[in-house]
Amino acid sequence: MNKKMLRAIIPISLVVALAVGVPLLSGCLPAPPPEAPPEAPPEAPPEAPPEAPPEAPPEAPKVVTAKIGFNAPLSGPVAGWGLPGLYGVEIWAEHFNAAGGITLTDGTQVLVEIVPYDNEYSAEKALAGARKLVLVDKVVMVQHMGGDEAMACTPFYTEQQMLSTTLVAGDITPETPYHLAPIEIWNFYGVTGFEWLAENRPELKTVALTAQTDVLGHQFMAAGEAAAKAAGIEVVYRKLYDAEAVDFTPVMSDLIAAGADCIAFYAYPGISTLMMVAAYDLGYEGLIHQITFDLLPDVIEKTSVEFMEGHISLYPDFDDPALNPSLNPYATIEPIDFWNEYNAKYPGTWTAVSWEYQAIMDVWKQGVILADSIEPMKVYEALKAAPTMYNTFGEGTWWGKPLWGMDNALVGKWPVVEVKDGKNGIVGWVSLLDWWERNGETMIAECEEYGVMWYQFMGLTREEAIVQYPEAFK
Amino acid sequence: MELALQAAVNGGLLGVFFALMAIGFTLIFGVMGVANLAHGELYMIGAYVVWLTYTQGIMPFPLAVIVGVAVVIGIGLAIERGLFRPMRGNPMMGLIASIGMIFILQVFVATTWHVGLMKHIPPYIRGSLEVFGASASLQRLMVIPVAASLLGGLWFFLRRVRQGRALRAVAQDPEVASLQGVSIDRTALIAMAIAAGLAGTAGGLMAPIMRVDPYMGHSAIITALMVTIVGGMGNIEGALLASFIYGFLISFVTTYVDGLMATIAGVLLMFVVLVVRPRGLLGRA
Amino acid sequence: MRKIKGGYLGLAVFFCVFAALPFVLGEYHINIILMMLIWMIVAVSYRLLATTGEISLGHVVTMGIGGYTSALLARHLGFSFWVTAPLGGLVAAVFAAATAYPLFRMKGFYFVLGSFALGEAVRLSWKRWIVPFGGDRGLLYIPSPSLGSFTFDTILPYYFLTLGIAAACLAVMYLIDQSRIGKALVAIHSQDLLCESLGINVLGYKTLAYITASFFAGIAGALMAHYMGMVSPSQFSLTFMLYVVVWVIVGGLNTFWGPIVGVIILYLIQEVLRIHLIEYMPLFYGIVLIAVVFALPGGLESLPRRIADWRRARKQTGLLNIR
Repeated sequence: MNKKMLRAIIPISLVVALAVGVPLLSGCLPAPPPEAPPEAPPEAPPEAPPEAPPEAPPEAPKVVTAKIGFNAPLSGPVAGWGLPGLYGVEIWAEHFNAAGGITLTDGTQVLVEIVPYDNEYSAEKALAGARKLVLVDKVVMVQHMGGDEAMACTPFYTEQQMLSTTLVAGDITPETPYHLAPIEIWNFYGVTGFEWLAENRPELKTVALTAQTDVLGHQFMAAGEAAAKAAGIEVVYRKLYDAEAVDFTPVMSDLIAAGADCIAFYAYPGISTLMMVAAYDLGYEGLIHQITFDLLPDVIEKTSVEFMEGHISLYPDFDDPALNPSLNPYATIEPIDFWNEYNAKYPGTWTAVSWEYQAIMDVWKQGVILADSIEPMKVYEALKAAPTMYNTFGEGTWWGKPLWGMDNALVGKWPVVEVKDGKNGIVGWVSLLDWWERNGETMIAECEEYGVMWYQFMGLTREEAIVQYPEAFK
Repeated sequence: MELALQAAVNGGLLGVFFALMAIGFTLIFGVMGVANLAHGELYMIGAYVVWLTYTQGIMPFPLAVIVGVAVVIGIGLAIERGLFRPMRGNPMMGLIASIGMIFILQVFVATTWHVGLMKHIPPYIRGSLEVFGASASLQRLMVIPVAASLLGGLWFFLRRVRQGRALRAVAQDPEVASLQGVSIDRTALIAMAIAAGLAGTAGGLMAPIMRVDPYMGHSAIITALMVTIVGGMGNIEGALLASFIYGFLISFVTTYVDGLMATIAGVLLMFVVLVVRPRGLLGRA
Repeated sequence: MRKIKGGYLGLAVFFCVFAALPFVLGEYHINIILMMLIWMIVAVSYRLLATTGEISLGHVVTMGIGGYTSALLARHLGFSFWVTAPLGGLVAAVFAAATAYPLFRMKGFYFVLGSFALGEAVRLSWKRWIVPFGGDRGLLYIPSPSLGSFTFDTILPYYFLTLGIAAACLAVMYLIDQSRIGKALVAIHSQDLLCESLGINVLGYKTLAYITASFFAGIAGALMAHYMGMVSPSQFSLTFMLYVVVWVIVGGLNTFWGPIVGVIILYLIQEVLRIHLIEYMPLFYGIVLIAVVFALPGGLESLPRRIADWRRARKQTGLLNIR
């Protein structure tokens, strides 16, 4: 064995290994056919177009499984806004399939399979997941939590003509036509809390706001400042905190020290609990307004029923009488049944998102029925063209150009929730479009201030955006 | 003024926590010459054991912490015996092996206890104490007497007990120490037990007020690194001093600027110390 | 002379295979080997510095510096990729030049920590300053490269773009490795005092290695940024840095091909795991690391040599070649 041969052997064996290994490995993976053109939408084979060939056996009912991708944080600090949603959507899928799914007009029976992917709220993981879900698993829709993780994937979905949904309407830009926000329209609905407070708690004149430093946090601050301004409440504290802090007690003590009439803050579910406990330990007695009181029973256990009395949030419990019977005619499960089953199967994990992803599935269901197809672009067209759209809170309109450049968010009314005797209860509703008519300018101004307008994400000023995307300003 | 006082109180509490992590880390470095990057994971496991035993109501909190410490010490001893001892004399390999342990421990905990949502541990002591307008929750204050007694015990051990003195001898000069009849291997085990015990205590005690997830060790090890560098690698008094320096630095910068700036400041301080005075504040040249 | 020719032939064959692969693979897999090529640039450039004995934990951040620079220039100033990408590498190199002096004052383990501290400070700045870095979300809508009227925005063109750039980078680094500079770097690793006494400017060579390595890492970062269309701080975290370290150690530091072997084998396995057992990915890396540290300190590239030694030792009864 002389050295020279040895040296040459390494690259050559590498090459051989690659040439053999890579095709082999792609054989192990459920690989798509090599010549699949990237722009073609993933076809569901048995989906029969109206011009069905006459050889299609008329009696044999075709069953097609629509795969729905679930690309969200299932672990890590933001898991509380992904994982409970997966639980909820899996309950939905069980009910949906048990009821026989949907039958299209040509007799095809559509069942649903959820394909989860844990993106740990990280952009590059989400993108890797997006690729896998679309190219390998051949899903017909991808659900996202939204925010940092989803914005990395939307260009890919647009390129692939894949329908995707999000809880963060802030993801939407004119470059993401197929990205919809069918239920939660973060950050817009965040304004409803202050609207309600202005009407029902006029003694509150000042507020201390805080959120974590990521983009969701900035979106919260923008909505909070706009809403407070619109409600005549003065913002006296507006510092952001680092979500990776080791200890959150200083954050809360700082917030309380501002001496405002009430505090409003935003935090990932587990951190929210820590901060609530800190507020309790620091003896805070004022009003707390949060977007959601995730894991409320756990928070009450760690603080007390008296401590939590009267605080305001925007997320109802699903056994709320105002939500039952369901306001959505396409609902697969009645809210109270969903609430009971969810809490029986996954006790102690109810967060804001537990019900949202499955609510989106009902919107998808409406789209499939209207489109008579599960093909992503057909469902998309049908949804946008529908005469009346519904989600969990009732009727909604496709809206969004002023904030997001496209009318891809389903906007209607949003509830305001108060904690009474340790339980969330809806105490009012706010019509979002009414609020917008009165205060839209303020909202845009604050969003720009915090850098969360859609054109800012694209690196454009408002003037440049008007030039490049005139449609978005019509 | 109140703000400054609150920041000082927070800083002090943070310093105590840092001390528990950093002293153990620097002890391992001093005695075995290896940087145990998996030290944060020991802290994490301490928190998880407390979660497992205390939240499920299996045992009361103090017992849960003790069990947590015991488990962490066990794992630490296994790491020392299986990983560091064979690598004795080759610190770079030991460091790399400890990186491997980080991944292994994280995945083991994550897959066994289904990462998912953050774990919740109800506080053991409720309520808070207020002093001149600055307040601190009793759960956090509880760390002080425990840490003080542990560190006091450690000081006593190192000065007065034969094994402890042997430890210091090995840290100072392993060859001479072994010539004197000190068993390096046994000393290493003792050092690891102490370090792991401190880390496990930190994890167990702090678990109710911090995030409990498989990656919580990450920030802990970075802090330990920063503190030990500034204090002087292998130097316990230095680690103690630097812990409080860092505690106050992080706390004040967080209060007056923001949390991210505090971390940046911490990291830059470490860098500056490394350039200007690598042996740290109290380290020997 | 024949040694050098063999290596270049190997490189050429290697790239021919990579050029042929996209025609037998689906889009998903093309994406995998595309990213593999980018990481290959990073790993091989990492070795450049590592051969001098300096293990840096800030290399992936340097990649990020290139990525962020290219993204900012492309988005805000509208420069084309062909300008912004080399500029990305250049800025990374300048950063290296500026930080070389303080970094190289640190010895051994302290260098490891110092490089980490510096890298982390930079990375945290990307998080902290939303203007201009975009904070946690980073920069989005980074434009794809274009040449005249043709845009590299679908996967096949971008793959060949990447292949071309990777080929160029690896060829240059191979040249360096085979040249006198490369030999000097290896010599510095084992005998830096001896080198000093021979008049070799150890610090100068280390700085050169660091700057060059950073340049190529910056290029790789720009490639990744324009490919993914986005760049964010979490892409350059310690975890990825550690993966690079694993690839290079497993592959082996001693020859040019070592890191390439490491990247190919481990990245492929990682991607297979991503499909089936994604939670176990880090576990796999951990086990591999420990196994290599114990069993194969020279890395996979030393395998042929160790097998040859072992066979030779078997022939000689009595005298065992103990590593």
